[in-house]
Amino acid sequence: MSSRTEVAVTPSVKEKKKKRSFPFWKSNVFLGSLIPIALVILWELSSRIGWVAPHLLPAPTTVLEEVVSMAQSGELWGHIWITLYRVLAGFLVGTSVAIVLGAATGYSKIANQLLDPMLQALRAIPSLAWVPLFILWIGIGETSKITLVAVGVFFPVYLNLTSGIQGVDRKLIEVGRMYHFSSVQLIRRIILPASFPSFLVGIRSGLSLGWMFVVAAELLGASQGLGYLMVFGQNTSAPELVVGSILLFAIFGKVTDEVLKRIQTRALRWQDNMENAS
Amino acid sequence: MLTVDCVSRIFQHGKAGFRHVDFQLSKGEVVGVLGTSGCGKSTLLRVLAGLDPNYQGMIQTSAENPDQAFGMMFQEPRLMPWLNVIDNITFGAKRASSQQQAEELLETVGLAGFEKHFPKDLSGGMAQRVAIARSLLHQPEILLLDEPFSALDAFTKMQLQDLLLSIWEKHDTTTLLVTHDIDEAVYLCDRVIIMRGQPGQVESEIHIDRPKPRKRGDAQLAELKEEILKELDFTKT
Ligand SMILES: Nc1ncnc2c1ncn2[C@@H]1O[C@H](COP(=O)(O)OP(=O)(O)OP(=O)(O)O)[C@@H](O)[C@H]1O
Ligand SMILES: [Mg+2]
Repeated sequence: MSSRTEVAVTPSVKEKKKKRSFPFWKSNVFLGSLIPIALVILWELSSRIGWVAPHLLPAPTTVLEEVVSMAQSGELWGHIWITLYRVLAGFLVGTSVAIVLGAATGYSKIANQLLDPMLQALRAIPSLAWVPLFILWIGIGETSKITLVAVGVFFPVYLNLTSGIQGVDRKLIEVGRMYHFSSVQLIRRIILPASFPSFLVGIRSGLSLGWMFVVAAELLGASQGLGYLMVFGQNTSAPELVVGSILLFAIFGKVTDEVLKRIQTRALRWQDNMENAS
Repeated sequence: MLTVDCVSRIFQHGKAGFRHVDFQLSKGEVVGVLGTSGCGKSTLLRVLAGLDPNYQGMIQTSAENPDQAFGMMFQEPRLMPWLNVIDNITFGAKRASSQQQAEELLETVGLAGFEKHFPKDLSGGMAQRVAIARSLLHQPEILLLDEPFSALDAFTKMQLQDLLLSIWEKHDTTTLLVTHDIDEAVYLCDRVIIMRGQPGQVESEIHIDRPKPRKRGDAQLAELKEEILKELDFTKT
């Protein structure tokens, strides 16, 4: 009898604990920023004391000053804008092509047999190997950079979309067949929504690859952009420029990914996974 | 209404599926299919529903619109996880009036207020009830039900059995009902087909001539139950 009472009481105790144990110092934001903040402080201190040579690694405050002064002079915005433009354009182009080809190979067996082996083989080429070819073909203008970003974005989106479509539960498709859906209806009402989660995963990793490739493209031949700023900083021995650009890349990469992540959680509220568990 | 003539569907080189199944359903008749697990009951329903074209034999319907005649409730709920309950029930519906009917059905299966829930937030029995509502919304001429109440508690089960009875009374729907619950079969069906073996074959057919609605405690039904149990006996050869 006594053990039984205990069982009945335990959950309520747990509940209380749960509510009480959510002070600020246990929140995700705080815990997640603890180590980075400590590292930045350590970095600042070690530069001040002179442990690291300032011409190799400038103090965070120096980097910040440089970035702020460039922003104030207006010089920075042009670089940011052109890089964002390249990523966005490449992302849109890569995603669109991936949707068309991925939907085709995912849905049609013939298209799969025709296209997939070739695309898989192309994927085996490290994408940066395209750079010289693209520059040769289309020059060092915007088009070649956007193309390179698009190539980077294309593969993850394509792969995830095809596997998403191929992984759609046959049982759900049978429900559609019971209602005599046409192929278009099947695609629109069952296949697309069912493969949407995997598509979003593809888009997110595509975007992060897009950022990687824009750096590569700008390092290799550009007269503007955050990647160019890095090269410029290297050539003029201005490490604060290099570090500042790295930071800006980190910020923009994170922000754009966060936007997609928000869209993802919004659109996938129906999914039964750890994240949606309440 | 439906004539099944020597239909077979064999898997795994003759070790699974079902073989030489013959029966007829007349309009408005409710026929139960009982059988041991794995004897091909779900496969039979899939073949009848037109989801599996690789069968031998002949299936004929005299429905007005043979293409749209069948409604099916699968053994699993098979709800679209991205649609909420009410959209799942109206899934595939063509008429605009179905929204209101869906609301009514939802209420009859005891889920009023759950319209906006996603399937992940439903219990197994609730999901099953949504699936029942979905299959009833279309009012098909021939209704194929694969263990529709297997995940429900005794009380809800009885309520939904009575719901089926009232639907049959109203629409005279021809029904093939796969079930593991012998009480359910003798309570609802005009006839029970018993399948056995792997591949499954029709072992026997038992007519239940009691008028409906029946009493659940009916002594004669209890006798029939006894008989069916004997037929299903594993150890019998
Ligand atoms: N597509 C398939 N390929 C191969 N074997 C299959 C296939 N579908 C079903 N089977 C086999 O056919 C047999 C009958 O399956 P079925 O699902 O029809 O059984 P059931 O009578 O509905 O059983 P239960 O009462 O457990 O639901 C099983 O042995 C199963 O393994
Ligand atoms: Mg089954």
